Amino acid sequence: MSMFRKVLVANRGEIAVRIVRGLHELRIPALAVYSDADRDALHVRMAEEAAYIGAAPSTESYLRIDRIIEAAHRHGADAVHPGYGFLSENAEFAAACEEEGLVFIGPSAQSIKRLGSKTAARQLAKAAGVPVVPGTEDATREAEEARRIAAELGYPVLLKAAAGGGGKGMRRVDSEDELESAIRDASSEAERAFGSGEVYIEKLIVDPRHIEIQLIGDRHGNLVHLGERECSIQRRHQKVIEECPSPLSATRPELRSAMGEAAVAVAREAGYFNAGTAEFIVDRDGKFYFLEMNTRLQVEHGVTELVTGVDLLHLQVLVAAGGTLPLRQTEIQWRGAAIECRVCAEDPEAGFLPTGGRVAQLSEPGGPGVRVDSGLYAGFEVPFEYDPMLSKMMVWAGDRATAIARCRRALEEYAITGVKTNLGFLRHIMDDPEFIAGRLHTGFIPGFLERRPREAPCPELEDMAALIAAAHVRARNTNGNGAGAQRQGSVSRWLANGRAGVLR
Amino acid sequence: MNWRVVVGDREIPIDLAKLPDMREVEPGVYSVLQDGRSFLFRVAPVNGAVLVSVAGRDYKVVASDPRAGGRHGRHTLGEGRQNIGAPMPGKVIRVLVAEGDAVQHGQGLAVVEAMKMQNEVRAPRDGRVVAVKAKAGDAVTAGAVLLTIE
Repeated sequence: MSMFRKVLVANRGEIAVRIVRGLHELRIPALAVYSDADRDALHVRMAEEAAYIGAAPSTESYLRIDRIIEAAHRHGADAVHPGYGFLSENAEFAAACEEEGLVFIGPSAQSIKRLGSKTAARQLAKAAGVPVVPGTEDATREAEEARRIAAELGYPVLLKAAAGGGGKGMRRVDSEDELESAIRDASSEAERAFGSGEVYIEKLIVDPRHIEIQLIGDRHGNLVHLGERECSIQRRHQKVIEECPSPLSATRPELRSAMGEAAVAVAREAGYFNAGTAEFIVDRDGKFYFLEMNTRLQVEHGVTELVTGVDLLHLQVLVAAGGTLPLRQTEIQWRGAAIECRVCAEDPEAGFLPTGGRVAQLSEPGGPGVRVDSGLYAGFEVPFEYDPMLSKMMVWAGDRATAIARCRRALEEYAITGVKTNLGFLRHIMDDPEFIAGRLHTGFIPGFLERRPREAPCPELEDMAALIAAAHVRARNTNGNGAGAQRQGSVSRWLANGRAGVLR
Repeated sequence: MNWRVVVGDREIPIDLAKLPDMREVEPGVYSVLQDGRSFLFRVAPVNGAVLVSVAGRDYKVVASDPRAGGRHGRHTLGEGRQNIGAPMPGKVIRVLVAEGDAVQHGQGLAVVEAMKMQNEVRAPRDGRVVAVKAKAGDAVTAGAVLLTIE
């Protein structure tokens, strides 16, 4: 069947690269968009065409519906893939695309609207007979009302942005005296991130697992789930490591189909098509509660692809073009285990503050079972305007233990210099007995930070590092102000000739 | 003749006449063979120093040429006046205190946002705000002075 003439990729970074790759596999030309900060970005190079859409702040570029649609028309694109974040869950954008004769590669604007608000999604879930976490369905802004509701639910409670996602505008509140400032912060963060400061309150389930179900449906009413992803390893509500299957599946194999059916029921209630993800939390007893529906392709979709062999991007494009889902629920199989690590420009030794900078050297892992979805290259300047995630490193192996070993090995191979990253932190998690045992919950990282062994100093390496640094600096100085010294091999010959002493 | 090389806070004597078998195999990437063992060192510049990465460890190294006479000092903040800097480049979302306010250790002073995450800048100790240099909406670089307490 004929799909699309050209697809505009309304995103940046690794996901834009991943979408461009998927389009190329389908032989569809890609149109990239970019802001001032991204002229040199990888997605711009990889796409057949590229359109400038404005200044670096996303409100002036990647969130500008008018400019993106104008770019699509100017370049003759007939569909738009929104990726994740930015406009991906913006019903107004989906509607604007359809009105302008562009196919939005995602669910209908109506589904986004119905599921986009967490409170509305809760009501849908209830209607579908799916359990939800106790809490309010009305957004709360008045402190007085919030105090009453929180007291009723019992502390700790969780504040959430009604329009939110990815942990933005979310706050844990342990006692009443924290409530007011937490509402203020959550609301202002939500206002800035989503244009709506509405916040609601729910009971906090202590130490839950975060498990989600991948869905895909077509416009003809076919809807299947592709099983679960365990996303319990989070920091400040941002996922760090995701897996498929959940380690919980080993002891509770019935959870996959039970949660899968629940997710499909919510999606049916909303008249959903294209890719989506139903997020659940699972308490210590294995009871699950529906949290929300993410009406987009998730960051962590790759682990599902590795285990099911299904290419979600291909399917998204196919069903957006009106095609029929080529697989039935009974045909979906899960094989082996996949783990994803989110590689971020942040400093784990300094409170995970975002770092940024210029990538000096890059060496990506390879070999059996490794997939890297990345927006990086050596020389790339990481802009501080956007999310600090740089790439996703995924591994697949026949079982979870081998996947962990492979993940550790691949993280050791992965080298990014010039920008401080969390690669070392991720590697240490692979050695953690709790992680290896699959005892995961959303409070994993704080506990891990407490118990992780301190790395013993290694004076031998330190001495060698000092020597190499001095030789490096001297070579760069000798070769004239460092600029010309970037030439490969200039130092090696010089050093190999043993002239080090002579130049002193 | 000897270089001043400081790793972390340890000064290490270096004799550049005695180098191991090392090759710069890619720009800034050194393969080192020593006693039959193979090491890979990566050297990248970080403000005024270099970061050396090896075997999953990072060492910040300040190496100064003995002839250049350069010196990299580090000042520490003690009592008295103290400038409170932005922890990272970003945008000031809110300043939570005003000049003259008494502040307590751990109290929020300002909120800075970068990469869509808001971070509260807290008072490092008890004191009083003597100057506020940032306002909501300001774009700041890492270390830019937001306010001063004493």
